[in-house]
Amino acid sequence: MVNFAFLDWFWLFAFIILMLFCGVLFYRLGKRSMADFFLAGRGLPWWLPAASVYATHTATDTPIWVSGVIYKYGLRGIWYTFFSAWCAISAFASTRIFRRSLAYTQAEWQTLRFSGLGAELLRGWIAGWQVFMNMFVLGWVGIAMGKLCRLLFGWPEWIGLILFSSVCAIYVLAAGYWGVVMADFQQGVIALSVIVIVSIWGIVAAGGPNTIIAKLDALGESWRLNPFAFSGVTSGDFPLVWFLTMLVIAVIGGFGMGTAIDWYPEAQRIQSAKTVRDASYSIWSGSALIVIRNSLWAVAILAFFSLYPHIPSTAESEMAWYRLGFEFLPVGLVGFFFAAIVAIHLSTISTHLNLGASYATRDLYHHYFNPKASEKELVWVGRISTLILLLGSFLYGLMMQEITQWLIFALWIMAAGIWLPNILQVVWWRFNAWGYLSSWIANLGFSWLVVWILPEFKVIPVLPDYLQFWSMMVLGALIYIPITFLTKPEDMDRLVKYYVMSRPLGWWKPVREEAVRRGLLKPEDAAVEGEN
Amino acid sequence: MRGIKTHWTAEQADRWTKEDHVTFIISPLIYFLLAIGVTFSLLLKWYGFVILGMSAVLLIVMIKIIDPKLKAISEDYESKQKQYLEDLEKIARWEE
Repeated sequence: MVNFAFLDWFWLFAFIILMLFCGVLFYRLGKRSMADFFLAGRGLPWWLPAASVYATHTATDTPIWVSGVIYKYGLRGIWYTFFSAWCAISAFASTRIFRRSLAYTQAEWQTLRFSGLGAELLRGWIAGWQVFMNMFVLGWVGIAMGKLCRLLFGWPEWIGLILFSSVCAIYVLAAGYWGVVMADFQQGVIALSVIVIVSIWGIVAAGGPNTIIAKLDALGESWRLNPFAFSGVTSGDFPLVWFLTMLVIAVIGGFGMGTAIDWYPEAQRIQSAKTVRDASYSIWSGSALIVIRNSLWAVAILAFFSLYPHIPSTAESEMAWYRLGFEFLPVGLVGFFFAAIVAIHLSTISTHLNLGASYATRDLYHHYFNPKASEKELVWVGRISTLILLLGSFLYGLMMQEITQWLIFALWIMAAGIWLPNILQVVWWRFNAWGYLSSWIANLGFSWLVVWILPEFKVIPVLPDYLQFWSMMVLGALIYIPITFLTKPEDMDRLVKYYVMSRPLGWWKPVREEAVRRGLLKPEDAAVEGEN
Repeated sequence: MRGIKTHWTAEQADRWTKEDHVTFIISPLIYFLLAIGVTFSLLLKWYGFVILGMSAVLLIVMIKIIDPKLKAISEDYESKQKQYLEDLEKIARWEE
């Protein structure tokens, strides 16, 4: 339990008032059109979406998760957090292609890249899945805040869940993405400042870097200082092949769209940037800040380990970074720390409220239910969708204990087997909607088989996660590659239009030649260096 | 920088060239060096500051390589964006 002084409460209320002010200030901009409510009119300079990328991906559960892996694995744990590196290539590859498509959402992009019934099925599926996913993330992050408030103030969990998400909903409902991104900028600055202050404070409290290193040596734990302390090529808890698999997934994944679950909020930020260049820099720099943040946390958690080594309970060691703040900061700054935690929380909640509403409004309501809807009507549908997501997230949050294991599995199956198809849809002209759809379905079946059913019946042993990934990739390809070749290529008119607009990289030669033949590109474009 | 193109027409910039490929290699390398460099700098190890310095130098190199191209792409593309947005609305409203 933490006792707040007057100054602590002052910081908290001042911050909440500042956030609500955003909603009021940008209310008029947010209600102008659907493009304003969901993309801030596509006119933002790079540093605003960059701050939003950083703030969104710094949630209340992020320091808990990072603390857990660093406390357990030492500096090797940095690589568990390195998945954000997909933005390193994406910023200059898939970001550029996606920004040029102008699609509001990833679901809409499917109908620009593919055509016919397959494209519509994909759009409906991805939109529905994203509405569900955003509601789930809202519940997940919301209940993490509920647990933290119970720990700090002794409140029942539902109060922390409902109170802060509802405060956030006020400015999201009022100003849409304008409110989200402007608040994210302030929240990002506050969160980064506090992460720097608390982490350095923790390092100093542990006696400084030299003392931390000396303590780890004395404890016989100096391996924790080596980020490359592999346990073997394939054996142990940190094998080299896991590290290489992670690098491939993260870095090469940048050529695709949707290879990381974070792609979906990033896609919204990409489209809100005012130019292709701004989109690239926003994604690159926002993720670079995440990489720096993770390193700051890593050293702070090492400091915590030197103070409290060998805590047996994972639940307790996962609170390491929060404990550094609440145990070592002086009175007055504790309230500022909690205000920053609220900032971290609201930035994630606001993004997922607005993002889920964008799929519900643009891809479900506008495209399938009321294509002739006016801009005013669409903004109102956006607000109603936001409210439904908020209420749904309360239900998810309260039942999260029971369903977490299932949903983590659901997240995993959404990622592993469709990693390669998510790249192929960007780089290979012949990959069609039926191939992509079949990869989702095959992935669903194979993930159950490989992860649960076959090991349960002792047909195969329980595979390490990197082997599960490669197995599902190969098994999935045995389904979707034949289906792609057995079904017709996409309509050439649609492919040419998409190519001329988005200029994708990779294997697009027949489409490029057709575009040249139609006079849409110059003849010298027919033979492009390094492309097929 | 020798061998690196710094003046682009819009049509040239639309193509994927060696400047893009070099960026694809440098960019993840910067993230990698940043992760390690920040960590060891906070632990006051001399090599942490060296790695951090290397990431800063590579960042400058990357911007020098890719920025002129991104500028050319952006300027040309923004002039066509209005037409593309109208087409997008037609698809959303089932007019195409």
